[in-house]
Amino acid sequence: MLSLGTLGTAALTLALALAVYAVVAGAIGAIRRDARLQTSARLTALAVFLAATTAVIVMQAALLTDDFSVKYVAEHSRIESPIWVKVVTMWAALEGSVLLWAWLLTAYGAVLAVTAPNTVLRSWSLVVMQVVTIFFLSVVTFAANPFIVLANPPLDGPGANPLLQNHWMMAVHPVLMYLGYVGLTVPFAFAIAALITRRPGTEWMRLTRRWTLFGWGFLTVGIISGGWWSYEVLGWGGYWAWDPVENVSLMPWLTATAFLHSIQVQERRRMLKAWNLLLIVLTFALTLLGTFLIRSGVISSVHAFGDGPVGPFFLAFFIIVTLVSLSLVVWRWDQVRDRADLDAVVSREGAFIGVNVLFLAMTFAVLLGTVFPLFVEATTGSRVTVGAPFFDAITLPVWMLVLLLMGVGPLLPWRRAETQTLRSNLTWMTGALLLALVLGFVFGVRKVYPLITIGLAGWNLASAGLLLAGAIVPRARITGRSLGQVFTQYAFEQKRRFGSMVVHLGVVVIALGIAASGGYRVDQQIRLPYGERVAFQGYELQALRPFSERVAGRNSVGVEVAVFQGNREITVLTPRINRFGTSQMTVPTPSVRYTASHDLYLALAGAVDPQQDFVIIRAVQSPFVTWIWIGGVIMALGTIYAMSPGDRPLRRSVSAEAPAGAET
Amino acid sequence: MINQALTTSLVYFILPNEYAQSPDQYDGRRIRLGGLVAPESVRFNDFDLQLTFLVTDGIESYPVQHVGAPPELFRENAGVVIEGSFDSGTFVSDNLLIKHSEVYEAPEDGHIDVEELRRSLQ
Repeated sequence: MLSLGTLGTAALTLALALAVYAVVAGAIGAIRRDARLQTSARLTALAVFLAATTAVIVMQAALLTDDFSVKYVAEHSRIESPIWVKVVTMWAALEGSVLLWAWLLTAYGAVLAVTAPNTVLRSWSLVVMQVVTIFFLSVVTFAANPFIVLANPPLDGPGANPLLQNHWMMAVHPVLMYLGYVGLTVPFAFAIAALITRRPGTEWMRLTRRWTLFGWGFLTVGIISGGWWSYEVLGWGGYWAWDPVENVSLMPWLTATAFLHSIQVQERRRMLKAWNLLLIVLTFALTLLGTFLIRSGVISSVHAFGDGPVGPFFLAFFIIVTLVSLSLVVWRWDQVRDRADLDAVVSREGAFIGVNVLFLAMTFAVLLGTVFPLFVEATTGSRVTVGAPFFDAITLPVWMLVLLLMGVGPLLPWRRAETQTLRSNLTWMTGALLLALVLGFVFGVRKVYPLITIGLAGWNLASAGLLLAGAIVPRARITGRSLGQVFTQYAFEQKRRFGSMVVHLGVVVIALGIAASGGYRVDQQIRLPYGERVAFQGYELQALRPFSERVAGRNSVGVEVAVFQGNREITVLTPRINRFGTSQMTVPTPSVRYTASHDLYLALAGAVDPQQDFVIIRAVQSPFVTWIWIGGVIMALGTIYAMSPGDRPLRRSVSAEAPAGAET
Repeated sequence: MINQALTTSLVYFILPNEYAQSPDQYDGRRIRLGGLVAPESVRFNDFDLQLTFLVTDGIESYPVQHVGAPPELFRENAGVVIEGSFDSGTFVSDNLLIKHSEVYEAPEDGHIDVEELRRSLQ
């Protein structure tokens, strides 16, 4: 009898076989310049996608029909769970999330096969995409097959990890991350194709500019949504703990951010060819290394969801990718060597290079802190963790420098800055910085990093104002149109430029949110006798009554807490403890009142005992924490805007005349 | 600078008997101490929220001071990992984690396998 499990494995095997054909046909077709073979390989990418889609549909069918003969369903699903939980269970554990990753990869491969312009790079980049696809399909078929058929299926399963079931964000966050990782595979594939075909010019990065932004944008919102998920679920009122899982998601983001900036130097100045190639290789390799680190159990993490046998595969592929890419760069050294030199450090390209160094330094520090426990354990046998103070001590000063450069860089012209304009711009920005510092001080900010961040926010706002003014005012003067009209036209025509300004604004907003919430968080446990009002940070909290509820496989026990401000009841918060199915694990789930100036965050500190006439809660007040999520949305919008079609090509003459408004 | 930041923020994970062997090495620095909550040692004052108990690995035990309510699954013989530092023989904790691992079963006869305990807490 054909079971869903067998069908799923068959679909995966078919996808794998097709991907192997696509690689062989694509490579031979490219070497022999055989157009028919190349076309055949290209169309096969669509077939790979269809076969992988079949596997995903089969997995969803097994989850939704509670087919516990499929091992993955038996281990991670539960009849009682609501439908949305069953759907997202596909990526709630290791095997399923590799399946999702592989499937997204085949989808990108198919889209690329259809949309990539017909150039020499196309065949080879499709080959590279399929090689990566083969790796993921092999892992999911042989090492972590979710479709293994159980001879004696259980009647019900334990359900997905409670921490993941506890919040709808879990339906979204992993998908965003994978869309990001997979998106950055496309520029990687084109970079390798450029090396193979001896065309390490700007063609590969122009062709993948949107893919790079797409992948980077998803990685950005993926990381931020992960922070929001931990804020909403983990109950300690924070959003980032320098946990290994967080660190390995941050590393490729840091290198991808560096890449986004350094490719512009190559586009304009034909410099950094090898650097750009290596950066995108590093970005891709870091996603593999990260997956190895957190999936192999070599590093313990509070949210390492499911160790499995895939670690060695990722490590092996990481080593292969790194060695092959480096060999290619060495082999093509004659082509990738830079012929242009940096004219002056104080120039746009100088700033881009500076910000690259900063991002790479942070990547190195985060990597070091993440893997250091491994070295200590290997050499001394001691089990250690690297605490948050290390990461803060290293990355905070570097972030400050990033913010500093972010203000100056966009104002600098390419090649060499004209000192007079620069001096006047810097005067304005320094003024804004000092003003912001004074304002921050007046409003009671005394801690060093929050204060510097506020100052740098002023610096960046002034910079954005000068940039816009430099671009708009002269044009309005020449054309005689109103500033509003010219601004609209500028924003419409210079999508890439304007989009990047919006993204930078988002970064400033996030920096302020982190500085305020990190520096001025109040976190304490409070005893709340039922019926009495207890003061906390300008609020009064009153525990009303304990409650318990049972919905769709979830048992909750919690307390209703009325929140008063100036004798007026403003809301009732319901911190609770959730239990899912038969799992012993309890999930203390906070209840949050979001406002623009601060969040009030209540979580149960201990058990709710109906015999007791009081309850102990953990109350957290974090200023401006919401602005981190808002900043994330601003960054996403800016990225989408920069990607949208219709960006007018730059006109060099304008940038030479008006350095302050120099275009990209 | 990196090296110094790294060594000062290293947090060692140890069991009570490891502390007993070389207290000087760990005194004054932040560590993660693992062990079981010793039976009949738990005291909680619900007014000043002072929680005290003994943490043991079957060889050595130390008193623990923690401010905050005992977490939901906190009970005798539960595996715990506490973060903080030793202050004249008492461990002052600011972070208390319950390890509800299915690997380690709380001992019935009082005998604790230290290696197994260590593995289950890591």
